[in-house]
Amino acid sequence: MFAFLRKNQILLSSCCCLLLSLYILTAAARGQLKNDPIGPLLLWIMRPLQIAAQTTTNWIDEMENSYSMLTGYKAENEKLRERIQQLEVERDQLLEAEATNQRLQKLLEFRSHLPSGVVTASIIANSGSSWFKSCLLDKGSADGVHKGMAVVTPLGAVGQVVAVTARTAKVLLLADPNNGVDVLVQRTRARGIVSGSLDNGTILKYVKRSEDIQEGDRLVTSGFDGVFPKGIVVGTVVKVRKQTLGLFQHIEVMPAVSLARTEEVLIVKADVNQEKN
Amino acid sequence: MKLSLSLFVVGILLILLQTTFLHLLPLGPVVPDLILVLCVYWGLYHPTVGAALGSFLLGYSVDVVSSPILGLNAFAMSLVFLAVYLSSRSIWLHHPVVSSIVVLLASLVKGAALILVWTVFLSVDGFWTGAVRYILMEALVAAVLAPVVFALLRRGQAYVEQIRVTA
Repeated sequence: MFAFLRKNQILLSSCCCLLLSLYILTAAARGQLKNDPIGPLLLWIMRPLQIAAQTTTNWIDEMENSYSMLTGYKAENEKLRERIQQLEVERDQLLEAEATNQRLQKLLEFRSHLPSGVVTASIIANSGSSWFKSCLLDKGSADGVHKGMAVVTPLGAVGQVVAVTARTAKVLLLADPNNGVDVLVQRTRARGIVSGSLDNGTILKYVKRSEDIQEGDRLVTSGFDGVFPKGIVVGTVVKVRKQTLGLFQHIEVMPAVSLARTEEVLIVKADVNQEKN
Repeated sequence: MKLSLSLFVVGILLILLQTTFLHLLPLGPVVPDLILVLCVYWGLYHPTVGAALGSFLLGYSVDVVSSPILGLNAFAMSLVFLAVYLSSRSIWLHHPVVSSIVVLLASLVKGAALILVWTVFLSVDGFWTGAVRYILMEALVAAVLAPVVFALLRRGQAYVEQIRVTA
């Protein structure tokens, strides 16, 4: 008997445990288990351990939450930064559109003062050589642009068309040494030729020594060259030097139009100019 | 007996883990059943009377701490221990995957026991869908954790035995 018990002690003890647990289960389910001696003891032992473990867990959880929150803030921050960048791009686009609108409005207003048959064009390229001051426009012979036409903006004269293809026109700027525009000094009506020079920028040539030219004098097109309409601003006198020898004064001019800040121009047809002149 | 007692203390610590730290794991409502893994270990490597009693007591402890009805886990763990003990002679554990499979099966046995007890003593709406889901998930998690827990227990056991020999 004892041998059997000893041999199967594990099996028997397991079965006893099973039966005991079933008994406890039944009693507990029926509500008959009033006095549980082991449960309170276990809880009494485990309570401080569980408090400590739970405190640690809570701390870890809190740390994790803080970390998640920080990560969340970081993600939110990145999102907001992206949004700001997006808004800045939109704002720039709007400002650009507004600036373009204003420029075009000015151009339109200016165009209304010019004779009819004016072509509006955009500058699509600047000079590829430092020896020449020119630019390329997006309108050509197909748009009614011809060689010799004047190119202007509301701010003043830009240059004249020197070469044309069907869809493009090359413009020689006032600052180019090969260009020449017949001008009048607005204040004194003295005549001269505005041209570019390689060493001194834009200059006013062929003004007699006797003429009264002062810094700040405005120069306008005379209309006698058959290219530009009369009265278009060309530039402002920035330096006057009367040489000891020679017939003419040396006058440096600041062009009214800076190509770097110009995007749209008006091309004035030659026949119109001729009518005007 | 000393080893069983040591493992019982480990079991209490595992209950502590189960009721606290393991809730931090991103496993949703499923809590890894380390007690089950311990009972399987007991059944496989140390099938003694102390181990049988330990399984029962650990199950009971789980009941005390978290079960709505006493005896539920005590019954399940006792059954798991018994099942593993009976099958331990025909199981040859050499690979962590095998231990995982054994724990998975043991977990299913435990799930079956819980279902049995639950249907007899308790009635809950939507029990079956929830039960099946929990059983499967618990079994999988326990199976995944089993090799690690087994390795730790073996190392701990070796340490205890070394101390005993030295003493």
